[in-house]
Amino acid sequence: MSDQLHPPHDDRGAEHGHGDDHGHGHASPFIQHHYDDAKHQFDAGKLGIWLFLAQEVLFFSALFVAYILYRYHHPEIYSYAHKYLDVKFGAINTAVLIFSSLTAAWAVRCAQLNQRRGLILCLAATIVCACTFLGIKYVEYSHKVHEHILFGRYFDPCVSSGGRELLTKGNNCAGTKSTVVWDAGSQAATYGCYTDIDQDPRKPGVQASCQVTEYAVSEAKGAEGKPAAKPTETLKAAITERCVEEPLPGEEPEPVTGHEAGHKQAGEAAPHAQKFPCWRPAFQPAVCKKGVGILVEYGDHAEREDIRIKAECKAAPKAPDPGDLLADRQQQLALGKPAIQPRHELTVHEAHELEAAGAPPEHTNMFFTIYFAMTGLHGIHVLFGIGVFTWLLIRAIKGQFTPDYFGPVDFAALYWHIVDLIWIFLFPLLYLIH
Amino acid sequence: MATQPATAQAKVDYGYPDGPTSELDYLHAEKGLRSWLLTLDHKRIGLMYLFGILGSLIVGGAFALLVRTELWAPGKTIVSQDTYNQFFTLHGAVMVFLVIIPGIPAALGNIILPIQLGAPDVAFPRLNLSSFYLWSAGALLLVGAIPFGGLDTGWTLYTPYSLETKTPVLIAVSGVFLLGFSSIFTGLNMLVTIHKFRPQGMGWFQLPLNVWAIYATAIMQVLATPVLGITVLLLAVERFAHIGIFDPTLGGDPVLFQHFFWFYSHPAVYIMIIPAMGVISEMISTFSRKPVFGYRFVAYSSVSLALLSFLVWGHHMFVSGQSRLANMVFSALTFTVGIPSAIKVFNWVSTLYKGDIRLKTPMLYTLSFLLLFTIGGLTGLFLGILAVDVHLHDTYFVVAHFHYVMMGSTLVAFLGALHYWWPKFTGRMYSESVGRACAIGVFFGFNLTFLPQFVMGARGMPRRYWDYDPQYQIYHQLSTIGAFVLGVAILITVISLVSSFWTGKKAFRNPWGASSLEWQAPSPPPTFNFEKPPVLHELYNYDDLVEIGEDRWERQAPTEVDPASGSSTVTPGDAHQ
Repeated sequence: MSDQLHPPHDDRGAEHGHGDDHGHGHASPFIQHHYDDAKHQFDAGKLGIWLFLAQEVLFFSALFVAYILYRYHHPEIYSYAHKYLDVKFGAINTAVLIFSSLTAAWAVRCAQLNQRRGLILCLAATIVCACTFLGIKYVEYSHKVHEHILFGRYFDPCVSSGGRELLTKGNNCAGTKSTVVWDAGSQAATYGCYTDIDQDPRKPGVQASCQVTEYAVSEAKGAEGKPAAKPTETLKAAITERCVEEPLPGEEPEPVTGHEAGHKQAGEAAPHAQKFPCWRPAFQPAVCKKGVGILVEYGDHAEREDIRIKAECKAAPKAPDPGDLLADRQQQLALGKPAIQPRHELTVHEAHELEAAGAPPEHTNMFFTIYFAMTGLHGIHVLFGIGVFTWLLIRAIKGQFTPDYFGPVDFAALYWHIVDLIWIFLFPLLYLIH
Repeated sequence: MATQPATAQAKVDYGYPDGPTSELDYLHAEKGLRSWLLTLDHKRIGLMYLFGILGSLIVGGAFALLVRTELWAPGKTIVSQDTYNQFFTLHGAVMVFLVIIPGIPAALGNIILPIQLGAPDVAFPRLNLSSFYLWSAGALLLVGAIPFGGLDTGWTLYTPYSLETKTPVLIAVSGVFLLGFSSIFTGLNMLVTIHKFRPQGMGWFQLPLNVWAIYATAIMQVLATPVLGITVLLLAVERFAHIGIFDPTLGGDPVLFQHFFWFYSHPAVYIMIIPAMGVISEMISTFSRKPVFGYRFVAYSSVSLALLSFLVWGHHMFVSGQSRLANMVFSALTFTVGIPSAIKVFNWVSTLYKGDIRLKTPMLYTLSFLLLFTIGGLTGLFLGILAVDVHLHDTYFVVAHFHYVMMGSTLVAFLGALHYWWPKFTGRMYSESVGRACAIGVFFGFNLTFLPQFVMGARGMPRRYWDYDPQYQIYHQLSTIGAFVLGVAILITVISLVSSFWTGKKAFRNPWGASSLEWQAPSPPPTFNFEKPPVLHELYNYDDLVEIGEDRWERQAPTEVDPASGSSTVTPGDAHQ
């Protein structure tokens, strides 16, 4: 640990001894006085921005970890949900961002070469690209907000169908089941979800008393992605059979003791073999927010293309619950015509329903949680970048950047590159997966 | 950098015997509130941090005493269960986020580190000021949660409870988010300063160990804290928008929150302890008049602790349902942390060996640190053993363990360092007799508080409980008595220190006979720290430092090595290395 004193480097000796006139001896007035010279300040800034970028990587890392984790545990969600995203928008945005990275890098070169006009043009082009990116993102987001393809409990694509005819092919249920949901909020027999019932309808007191008076099923399949032109076979009958209730999740079947067993046998019929088709009130929080619907079970394994169901719902048998919209109200459930020819433009959800067999997997909402968290945080970074580049643009117009002092342009460009880089990861992870 | 000859300006004499001769010291350089609030001087910013931190220490300490008072007897003593939950939560949150994380790096580091490097300021003074305001805003939000109903989640903010509680989690986590970025920017500033502002001739192994420690800390601040930032951001969004990422009813994973939280908060434990180790190295060398034994090992162990700290977060979650494999890996990695920690302790003890030990106040704190850190570190090994942890998890044993590390080590080192550098940045000596009495009071009060907690924890007393079985009462009462002794000692320390601003004896440049560069600067230093470039001497060489008066040391025959170069002076900030 002996000290090793070296004389100051010769090439830097000239920078010293300028005394008290902090900064005025330097080529640029923006060299702060605790730095030796422009190079010292630039080097410090460069190290600083790299450390900041390392921080940014760690900031995003948690979201990438969450992505990996949920994808590992629920691959079905990802393969199902990515189709809600429009690759076209994502691809355009990728191109826009890559181009803006080029203009940002070009801006640095212009600053180094003292090309003021080029610098201003490049900075302005970067800002325009960033705004374009956010504009396209706005279109994508507003689309999803409109269709309720959102995160967490706001993932509720059914709601958007309220009041409109819904294609009911295999409606939300895979295999041998179909769910029909309707909207009690409008008090009309439309499609959608019951709202404001946040309890499981299988519980006593909440249970809707419904009877399916008529249903029709087509088993035909149309061309790829399109409904069949005409139903080939139609079943039409009322379903009076109610499906045997499964025990609630986490609820143990009651042990049958001697006394109770006798009571039970007297009170209700012994469990019998299930007859199909049957119906039951369904609780599908993954599909409908606090949703209640009717689930029809066919008992075979044929794929159903279109169904239509009429059902009558009566008041709940027990004393009305304050939160129970079904209390004292009779409702008609009629699902209209088979939606062979959709009368309206398909929503993304409906199109997807047509294309993919089966219901959204449970917790599909988690994909959109990740999607909105990642793209939202990235969008905030783009917004921040627009602010920084606008500040640079103003300074460039004032002519404050010189070959001696162009650090801020360089550092902002580095920041912009990492924003770009993060998007380059997000695009395939969210839009291109299968 | 002001390097003009002293003759260029009339000598300004305002009473400090050893103060700057040619320009005003930083405390008097400018006047008015505005000159403080908009200052870019690292010492002024550090001083503002220091007062904020001391204020927070009193707030957090008050909550601790309220908690201890409530636990005097089983059942209700002074407050209800809900209020009690808020007390321990706010005690933890305030102490962790507002006191010990910024305590040494942001306050003392800011004040001392650039001077130790012979530099005029930190690399980014404006960023430094922004960090301080982020800290202030974060502190206001965190403490501001109290009038909005307090916070009762525990400082760990575990989901799903933090998603359900009616207390203002949103306000508190916004505060934590800002505090996190304050910490990140401070670390960034320190890293760049250490890289770019070392003088010519000060290579990596001529750095004071405090600089090494702050360097290691800054790495963790920059790389770990962003994960806390995104975690509390997600928690906040979860609370107001219900995105579901931590909410099991929507398919989210509450344990993921624990992973994210501890990925930051385990390194955070080292963000707290490593700077303490740095200041201990400085003080132990100065007051033993010996170079730190095994300098390179101490330096490397700081950095290796920083790197290992990223690999052991899972040991907080042994009973959270991790896989058995993960538990085993994390347990094994946890033991490796013991190696660099033990290297440091052994090296410090070896430094004491045959040293010329002077029991000044900072040295008393340093010796306390050695004992308390050893106890805290070794009990950490008990908790790293999987089978033992199942028994001890969430008991008072854990509470005692981490208080021995966080408070017994970090806060004790902070208080010691505060006394050590106090003459340097205030220009005033504190009262040595009060300082020593309080150091002893802190040591005994601390042990009386937390030794009984090891016993009752091992016997099964769970942490965070409002009520307890009467068999634990004696331990709780001992602990409460100790807490009050501790509280009084710290309060007297703070009052004594702050009052010495006005009443203290004027300090000389080098009151302790310490060897690093900051002791060549005037006390208090001028705005750019040195009137003339400091002379770089061999690090931790005390041979030619002679006591020439009470608390006044000078170098009699400067060891100017490398005479061939014809120069022994360095210009601050004179090197890009």
